[in-house]
Amino acid sequence: MIEFRLDRGSGVATYLQLVQQVRHALRLGVLQPGDRLPTAKEVVARLAINPNTVLKAYRELEREGLVAGRPGLGTFVQRSLGQTSMDDRARLRAELVRWVRDGRQAGLTLEDLEALIASVLTDSFRQEIA
Amino acid sequence: MNALETTGLGMRHRRTWALRDCSVAVPAGRVAALVGPNGAGKTTLLRLAVGLLTPTTGQVRIFGRPARESGERTAFVAQNKPLYTGFRVSEMLRFGRGLNPRWDDAAARRRLTELGIPLDRRIGRLSGGQRTQVALTVALAKRPDLLMLDEPLADLDPLARDDVARGLMGAVAETGLTVLLSSHVVSELEGVCDWLVVVNGGRVQVSGDIDELMARHSLLTGPAETADALAARLPVVSRSGAGRQATLLVRDDAPPPDPRWSARPVTLEEMVLAYLRTPDAAALPRPALSPAH
Amino acid sequence: MFWLTWRQHRVQILVTGGLLLALGVLMLVSALRATAYLAEYAPPGCPGPAVSCSAVNQVVYTDHYRPVFLVFGLLPIFGAALIGVFWGAPLLAAEFERGTNALAWTQAVPIRRWLTVKLGMLGALVAGAALALSAMVGAWRNIFSGVTGDVTMEPGNFTITGIVPAAWWLFAFAVGAAAGTVTRRTLAAMAVTVAVICLALPVVFSSRPSYAEPVRVVTADRSSVARGGGALVRESWVDPSGRELTAPPPPPCPLPAGVDTRSDRAQLLGEECLVGSGYRYAVYYHPVDRFWRFQLTETAILLTGALAFGALAVVRTLRHRG
Repeated sequence: MIEFRLDRGSGVATYLQLVQQVRHALRLGVLQPGDRLPTAKEVVARLAINPNTVLKAYRELEREGLVAGRPGLGTFVQRSLGQTSMDDRARLRAELVRWVRDGRQAGLTLEDLEALIASVLTDSFRQEIA
Repeated sequence: MNALETTGLGMRHRRTWALRDCSVAVPAGRVAALVGPNGAGKTTLLRLAVGLLTPTTGQVRIFGRPARESGERTAFVAQNKPLYTGFRVSEMLRFGRGLNPRWDDAAARRRLTELGIPLDRRIGRLSGGQRTQVALTVALAKRPDLLMLDEPLADLDPLARDDVARGLMGAVAETGLTVLLSSHVVSELEGVCDWLVVVNGGRVQVSGDIDELMARHSLLTGPAETADALAARLPVVSRSGAGRQATLLVRDDAPPPDPRWSARPVTLEEMVLAYLRTPDAAALPRPALSPAH
Repeated sequence: MFWLTWRQHRVQILVTGGLLLALGVLMLVSALRATAYLAEYAPPGCPGPAVSCSAVNQVVYTDHYRPVFLVFGLLPIFGAALIGVFWGAPLLAAEFERGTNALAWTQAVPIRRWLTVKLGMLGALVAGAALALSAMVGAWRNIFSGVTGDVTMEPGNFTITGIVPAAWWLFAFAVGAAAGTVTRRTLAAMAVTVAVICLALPVVFSSRPSYAEPVRVVTADRSSVARGGGALVRESWVDPSGRELTAPPPPPCPLPAGVDTRSDRAQLLGEECLVGSGYRYAVYYHPVDRFWRFQLTETAILLTGALAFGALAVVRTLRHRG
């Protein structure tokens, strides 16, 4: 079963943190179809977190079709993630390697590159959420 | 249905207003944070809501009923967690049982046993955390629909704070009750609360769903010389920066129009602090609150 | 609510009960010893007003009556003050002081019921304790009625007899409760309570003679009036024509040689001479049969005061419960 963590002060809404952790676990295969997610009460007992937030995260996951709630039984994983093909991944990785090389030639340090990636990722995903 | 709704609420102590023209609503089922600096009117608002104070102006409604007729549906834990220090823990439970028809004695005993608080211990000999837990147990055993707590986590050590917060959240998970808790430490509320009310100088500045509020605000960083131009186009809550770099906290979720500016999400604390530093700014629900009827 | 009232005030209730018990035992022992003494030493027909009884009357009075009377003779003042300080003052002040008002008055039980039960139950206990004390004192004093005559109209006795003690204690209790809502601090409320009671005592005591028009008796033997009991208000001389004098007239007879004009003997001789010359005493007093009328009057006055202070306590609590 997945064990949630909370990064207070990260600026990421709590329910999104939970959603991301479930997605991550699905991607890594830690969670598989048929697995039960902890109930809001179980999460709360460990994390001192608002149960409404847990339910909100589960609703979001349900909306995405990743999990499904069965009344009286709990919330269960419907399908796994990480279905992108190995070819796609290899291609994207190669592009990123090329981009990093360009950056370094342009004089950017490791931190510069990290800052750039972070800002692009943030902007990109913020638009998606909004 | 709003668990708590105030309209034009004001409270004057002699010549100064402790709370003024306060209209705020907490929807049922929420865990709401009442945030503001010391002396901002948080305690006054809570004491009005629980019927301990009589408002100078306006009114309070608890699930649509006047505050003073809602003793059965509300529970209150005041700031110093008042309990009868000479009583034993079991006697505090008997107090609650005698004064509340909806009292759940079995749940109260179970809760205290789980927490390892002996029923025959005198209240005066409990630790701060245990005392808070007993006060919370007495409040929860009333089976309230709205629980109000004044600075429940203040003066507790980190372990006790976590225990109390988990106990509170567990009760919410079990019963779905509405909670309104005040605090001046914003960081301890993240993850705990899903509704935010910011009071400052006796007025309500921010009121709304925390996730929505945070998604609607962002922190922009960019060259200082273009800050004015940007500020003219966006609703800026607060502004800071030194030298060539400026930081704007804006109520806007679109990416910055100027590519030299980068945006990042705000934390709850950054957002609250930004509002508290700018008492004129406000983020209140649109449209305006419906008046009580 | 009843359990809560008992639990919060059991110390006062038990201590008061204990004190009453101790006083009861003291009076019981005193009564038994006095009875035994009288059975052994009193001549036939004694104790009583007869001259032959004066010796035994004197002994019983000084050895058995007075020592005990001194113990509870102060009760009108101390009893009321103690009730006001330990029952009344902490009732609301302690809740405010410890912040437990925010606990007590946010439960499902409405504050009005809280106040009704607390004031009602404790008030009933206070009144009951006072009546028990007064009954004990009455029973004890019956033993000595032959020795002392009827003393129930004397100020000290009047206050601890009949129903007036209950009225005094209730008044003190209400004063304490009201003081608590004003000061919101127990110690300060206690001080205010004592001050108000100290103020009320002389006011009530000094107004007691005017509860009714005193009876006027013109007599040559003023001790005859005193023997019947009752409360003396004042006395003055009446000249032979029946006119009441404001100042004592100069005695018409010369003093025998060797008697100092300022001595008691000169005084006595002067009075005898005046009576012999047709002067009389006009004695204004309240006879013993007015006892219950006076009891009811004083009780009504004090209960009115108690109600006023009680209402003040209730109104202030309802208005400023936070």
